[in-house]
Formats: sequence, structure tokens, C-alpha cells
Amino acid sequence: MTGDKAIDIVKSSGKRSTESFSRDKLHHSIKAACLSERSHDGEATNTADKVCDAVIIWLEQRPVVTSHDIRRVASKHLTRYHPGAAYIYEHHRYTI
Amino acid sequence: MTDIIALSIVCLAALIHASFQLSISTLTLMSGHSLGHGRSHMRLLSLLGGFTLGATTMTTLLLCTLGLLLSYLVTSQQVPSVLWAASCGMLFGVGLAVWLFYYRKGKGTMLWLPRQTAEFLAERSKKTKNTGEAFALGLASVFGELLFIAAPLLVSVLIILPLAPSVQLSGILLYVGISMSSLLIVAMLVSGGHKISEIQRWREANKTFLQFTAGSALFVLGFYLYVNEVLTIPLAAGGLAS
Repeated sequence: MTGDKAIDIVKSSGKRSTESFSRDKLHHSIKAACLSERSHDGEATNTADKVCDAVIIWLEQRPVVTSHDIRRVASKHLTRYHPGAAYIYEHHRYTI
Repeated sequence: MTDIIALSIVCLAALIHASFQLSISTLTLMSGHSLGHGRSHMRLLSLLGGFTLGATTMTTLLLCTLGLLLSYLVTSQQVPSVLWAASCGMLFGVGLAVWLFYYRKGKGTMLWLPRQTAEFLAERSKKTKNTGEAFALGLASVFGELLFIAAPLLVSVLIILPLAPSVQLSGILLYVGISMSSLLIVAMLVSGGHKISEIQRWREANKTFLQFTAGSALFVLGFYLYVNEVLTIPLAAGGLAS
């Protein structure tokens, strides 16, 4: 499950056009959040896999979602595996 | 004013400067991105060092440049009262601004800055890969907060200017050292292995306290200087003070 799904992601700002859902992009951002919390590479990859799978299941009945929805759902699942990483994932845009 | 009192005022102004958060936010964000990209601990240390050095350099440059510019106005041992009055007004104004809107409402530690400046710093912190870029980011982060740090900087310069050259140097070193202390502490915590989320959570939990303390300290400093430098001088000149 590494390919893109035919689901349109509406950007939260509304300034950019919609884009297709990319599992790799989500995986990369979740793994980065785990690594920034000093998780090991394998653990970060595992966590990102689990969260991506959960998000894809949630996406199955939804043809169009916003990037904010993806972030919220991913963050909710990430909290179960790594609360610190979930905090960073959700809050990094509210740091400055 | 004795040297001890003068240096104490410089210390208080530097503490106020240290309580401002833009450099710390940028450092936290840069560290998070660096760790998130799986960069080595040595690279993280060099980025933290570069950033801290950049912020220190910009603070020193601002202090010395302001000192040089004001030295043309302050020719005698006495700073003109009008300059003190303007500085006190600035302290009160910035104090009020800090109280009312230093942090944006809502979650996180978003600061009341032009969004373009904040987005620029956030974007640059993501793209910072080497020490030179971290140094430049450190310079920019101090410059970005000029609106708030201008008041403590100005007061410190006015206090330092009439002092003897050796005490002036102590004043500059004290100001730069203390104003960079909060940044150094966060850099040491990150390099020591503390989690970014712990640091950020602490900052978010205590932001209202920091905001209130910084605003209040600006008011206290403004009031003290107004009484001592604006009100006392005319009273002394009129023979009303002992």
C-alpha cells in the first residue's frame, strides 16, 4: 500500500488546488514527527505504517476531504502509539 | 547613578529580552525538523551552535549600532531627559502590547508577528541544513523580534553610554549573556537529548505567565526610570531634592 489513492485533498488554506491523497507523503510526515521525538528509525517506520493504514481505512468512504481532516485523524491515531510525536505533528504549525 | 545600579538595570532589561520567544520558537522548530530528517547528533549540535552564535551576533550588533548612533546625541555624561521620557514611553507602550497581544489566541505558541515574517522563519527553519544557514536564521530571528526588543535595547544603551569604557564593555557582555540565556538553555536541553514535545509543552503551558511577567517587568522598569531620570533631574535642578 504505497501508491496514491483517488481521493481529492482540499488544502486548508484554500489558496492551492486540490491534490490526490499520497500515502508516502503522509508516511513521511508521521515518520518525521516520530524521529523528531527521538524514536528509532524502525519504530518510527512501524508507527507511520500503522497510522497510514488507519487513515486509509477512514478515507475509504470519503471521496473528498480537507488536509486538516487528514491531519486531525492521523494525529488521533498517532496519539495511541506515540503521544509526544502526535503533539509535534499537530502543533508544529502553531510554534511561531 | 552608580555602576552597580546601572548594571542592575541592564540585567533587568536583558532578562526582559530573554523572555521574548521568537528565537526560541525558531530554534525549537529547526531542531524538530533536523531530528525529523534523521540528521546526526553532531549535525544537530552544529546547527544549534550556529543558530545561537547568529542570535548572539545580531544582539551584539544591534546593541553596539544603537550605542554608536545615540553617542552622537549624548555628548555629555548626562542623557537628555527628553530621550529618557521617550524611552519610558516606549517601555510602557511595549509593556502594554506584550500584555495584550504578545501571543496569538488559540493553541500553540504563535506570536503576534506579521504572518509573512513568521512563515518565512518557519520555512527557513525547515530548509536549514548547514551551520551557515543556521547562523543566518539566528540573525533573522532576533531581527524579526525588533519590535519588542527595541525598548529593552534602547534603555540598556542609554544606561551604558555614560559609563566608563571598561564598565561599558561589562554592560554589553552582561546584556548579551543574559538575553541569550533562555536560548542557550533550550539549545542545551535539545542537545542533551530532551524531547522537543516536552520543551514545547512547557512553553505552551507557561506562555501566559511569561507574557504577564515580561509585560509587568517592562512597566516596572519604565516607572523606575521615569521617576529616577525624568522626574528627579528637574527636581534636583530646582533645589527640591536633597
